[in-house]
Amino acid sequence: MINLFGYRVSWTQLAWFGHRASGLGVLLFLFLHIVETSTVLLGPEVYDFTQTLYANLPAKVGEVLLMAALVYHSLNGLRVIVMDFWPASTIYYRPLTYGVIAATVISMVPLGAIILTPYLPWG
Amino acid sequence: MTVTTRRPRVIYTNPSRAARPKPEASGRERFWWYFMRLSGLALVFLALGHMFIMHVLVAITGQEIDFAFVQSRWGTPFWRIYDLMLLVLALAHGVNGARIVIGDYVTHRTARGLLLTLLLAISAMWLVAGIAIIAFFDPSAS
Repeated sequence: MINLFGYRVSWTQLAWFGHRASGLGVLLFLFLHIVETSTVLLGPEVYDFTQTLYANLPAKVGEVLLMAALVYHSLNGLRVIVMDFWPASTIYYRPLTYGVIAATVISMVPLGAIILTPYLPWG
Repeated sequence: MTVTTRRPRVIYTNPSRAARPKPEASGRERFWWYFMRLSGLALVFLALGHMFIMHVLVAITGQEIDFAFVQSRWGTPFWRIYDLMLLVLALAHGVNGARIVIGDYVTHRTARGLLLTLLLAISAMWLVAGIAIIAFFDPSAS
């Protein structure tokens, strides 16, 4: 448990909050992504210019955050599905939640490195 | 005098306690409950696959996402259908999620109604735009 907002918040509460926050974040990007992809109908010059807007370090950090949100939302969503359809698994809700958080962090280390390395000063 | 407080009887309809309880009555809300789980399962593969191809494989192989990349990708029906399924499922899944979040936090009736109408209107516009992009893109154009 960690102390946040003046009272003790469990990791499982944070997992629930994280599911909503990551979901809304990914949805927001989806709206932006549709707008940005629409420039493909305007021809190569316009589309290629749009894509250069993503080719910098701050945008790549955003890309890593987007991927982390998606990985987390996917894994936590699978946990929800498992627990909703096999209620017997709910006695493991705590280790399952910790597993989801740990798996997200661990998988984001190599994924983040692959995306960021070419854009780092020493990359 | 001792006061005995009895624990309220709780009927657990929400085993996961990680999301919504399954609506008891069949109907629209129960449909969306199943929809979120089934579309979520499909999106684990569709969305994570999309992210992995576009941001990890492209980076590893030293490719670049540009017009020519889209031409070769949307030149095949497989990726167009893949992207169309991803678009429709992700948008429906995300917008329904946002609808539930709005319903949970916005208690003012008028504000809630306005927000939900706005969400639905914008989503419908974006859905039509997204489908149009995938449908009308001409891979032979230069």
